[in-house]
Amino acid sequence: MTSGSRLPVSSTIQRRGLTALPRRDKIAVAWVLLLLGVLGWMRYTRDDATGVFPQRGLTLICPYSPGGGTDLFCRGLARAAEPLLGRGVTVNNITGGGGGVGFSAGLLARPDGHTLTAVTFELLSLPPQGLVPFAYDDFELLLRVNMDPSAVTVRADFPASTLQEFVAKAREREGKLSIGTSGPASVWHLAAARLARSAGFKARLVPYGGAAPAVTALVGGHIDAVTVGPGEVMSHVKSGQLKILAIMSEQRLEGWPTIPTTRESGVDVVFGTWRGVAVPRGVPVAVLARLRKVLGEAARSPEFISFAESTGLNLALADGDTFKAAVEAQSIEVRALMDELGVMP
Amino acid sequence: MPAEIIEILHTLGSGAVWLALLGGVLGGLFVGAMPGLTATMGVALLVPFTFSMPIMPALALLIGVYSGAIYGGTITAVLVRTPGTPASAATLIDGYPLTQRGEGGRALAIAAAAALSGGTIGTLLLILLSPQISAFALRFGAPEYCALALCGLTMIVAISADNPLNGAIAAVGGLILATVGIDPISGYPRFIFGAVSLMEGVSFIPALIGLFAVSEALRVADSDAAKMTTAAQPHGWFVRQADAIRCSWTAIKSAFIGTFVGAMPGAGCDIAAFLGYSEAKRSAAPADRFGEGEIKGIAAPEAAKTAASSGAMIPLLSLGVPGDSVTAVMIGAFIIHGLQPGPLMFTEQAGLVYAIFALVLLSHVLVFGFGSIGARLFLRLVAIDRRFLAPIILLLSMVGAYAMRSNMVDVWLALGFGAVGYAMHRHGFPVAPVILALILGPMAEENFRRALVISDGSPAIFFERPIAATLLALAVLSAIGTAWRRRRMIHGLI
Repeated sequence: MTSGSRLPVSSTIQRRGLTALPRRDKIAVAWVLLLLGVLGWMRYTRDDATGVFPQRGLTLICPYSPGGGTDLFCRGLARAAEPLLGRGVTVNNITGGGGGVGFSAGLLARPDGHTLTAVTFELLSLPPQGLVPFAYDDFELLLRVNMDPSAVTVRADFPASTLQEFVAKAREREGKLSIGTSGPASVWHLAAARLARSAGFKARLVPYGGAAPAVTALVGGHIDAVTVGPGEVMSHVKSGQLKILAIMSEQRLEGWPTIPTTRESGVDVVFGTWRGVAVPRGVPVAVLARLRKVLGEAARSPEFISFAESTGLNLALADGDTFKAAVEAQSIEVRALMDELGVMP
Repeated sequence: MPAEIIEILHTLGSGAVWLALLGGVLGGLFVGAMPGLTATMGVALLVPFTFSMPIMPALALLIGVYSGAIYGGTITAVLVRTPGTPASAATLIDGYPLTQRGEGGRALAIAAAAALSGGTIGTLLLILLSPQISAFALRFGAPEYCALALCGLTMIVAISADNPLNGAIAAVGGLILATVGIDPISGYPRFIFGAVSLMEGVSFIPALIGLFAVSEALRVADSDAAKMTTAAQPHGWFVRQADAIRCSWTAIKSAFIGTFVGAMPGAGCDIAAFLGYSEAKRSAAPADRFGEGEIKGIAAPEAAKTAASSGAMIPLLSLGVPGDSVTAVMIGAFIIHGLQPGPLMFTEQAGLVYAIFALVLLSHVLVFGFGSIGARLFLRLVAIDRRFLAPIILLLSMVGAYAMRSNMVDVWLALGFGAVGYAMHRHGFPVAPVILALILGPMAEENFRRALVISDGSPAIFFERPIAATLLALAVLSAIGTAWRRRRMIHGLI
């Protein structure tokens, strides 16, 4: 090594400028400039509008981490949509802020239809908490794909076999019954609050860091009930550790024909989470129509339906307008519940 | 039983399974060694690819990646002071000083051997005692997890090298950082100053990358040019007999600790590694020099974290409850293939369960093989002039920080932590306590408050429950014991 720690090339530049570089370095500089030029050209052709959609592969932003339920949903839908679009659909996990970071990224994307965002119930619960600077109507909702209602689940040895008996027990214990949820102001927390309000009992709502830890705590007997999705307790119900008392859906679920709905059990609650696809406002009408058609076909394809079955997705397709109306109604309900729970600033 | 043996032989007779396992272990070693790419991420990224594979190769791939990644982080932690995964941060405390003395080969050999023994013990416990261990793990509710986290926080003195006060100050800094983000119980945002990216708290990976990798690059930038390479002393393929004997009891003890910690649904490999290290240090003999390249300080965390990766499979297979974040992701792969992990699997698909046991054990053996053979290759890393190595590590670290959430904020965080880590090092503050506080702080706080929600505000819940009370007593004893030993040491009594 030559004198000290300074490299010879940098000192040459300092003394005599670029022209005095050795031949080898000049070639290297030329290569770098050429590559930069190529990159610039690629960027230029990328933006070249020929009017045909899609011009390039699509990106589907998944606001939650890889391997989770929403990620599986995104990858299944992307795979089903690819042959219909004739282009690749890449799932990009932009996570953080309980989904807020991914939603923001989706809203900031160019409204040309090439960036889709997977939207979920949290789009309704984050804004009223003042945690994100946007609302659900900043998105153009394309399609709702699934809905997962809340399932009121207790340990197999809990002394109640119907929702009515459960409510009676809860009243008897005067607010000492504990219900585990997937986190403060999360969808299953609101479901528990909604149940308690409609059925007229008081309970301790115990927030956990997600549905899985809450279910684990229930299996371990540290809490009395959970109000999470049926898929999240499926294995424990099948093995006989837990039992579902009622499901908060309009009708009985296909996968659970023997479990009554909450309405059948005399408590007027329908509550659950959902997943869909949206784009930012301002996407051209023709592109919107194409996306709606393609996504609708993808979600109805046999490939996606069997995928949904194996992952426990409860399919509930709804097109743009129906989706929007349902979201609007739920948004009002969520605001009211949050106000009651005191999680709104 | 014969049916199970046939199933195992059938599984292992398949070339696809071997290929998947080999590829998984190699890929895992790489993923683990890359700063920012953790075992969780490696497995999560592969789960979608396993959809179209048959069940056994798919599981072999995921298990291979998991075991490989858990070890891979150690290679870079020991050799270049850049833990590839959080679980390797504990191995660095004694591993890096050994490398600086030119004994990187020895350190890696001990790590590989300890990982193999930890993995073997963990897997044997998984095979023999799954129902008992998972039943015990289920008894851990919010009060127990809180007590366990407090127990862990008393280890800060153990990992603060020779200056416990500075270690405690660093840990308090980490605990304060751990309060950033959405309040886990009330849902209110704390100290996020309107930044949506901070809602889930200060991300752990950028902190790890910044405090170790970036600060190391900064240290290289201002250190003496003459010390830019370390001559590595030659070392055989495998651990020396004397080293193995010296570390054996430490490794066995750590493996048991690791298996139990790994089996708890609320604690993973990282906590296991730190607990293993602190127990080794607590029970240190007077001649042991922890923090200055003590080989027991490598064996303990390595055995603990590898055992924990087997332990994490215990609740997964016997209860359908994931033991850590990696197995949580694996559940998705099981379900895609129509398998419901849980008590029914042992009765209905016993053959499959035994085949999984075999895969887990084999993956540890393969990791040991690659780790031992590859050590000579890895050792060349320290022969590279650090002026070239440091920027490369820095670049990879930035990519790693970004890749985790595709978020530039994490890159800035990593750089910020780098500056902090550099300043801390210059002024004699250890950085490991910050990492430990970031892991344990949220666990302690969340579970403390959750326990109080369950008990309606009565602190009696911590003392009425035998496990919680025992752990709390241990925490108090450990704190008093360390303080007392240190007093005696200062007064020259030992």
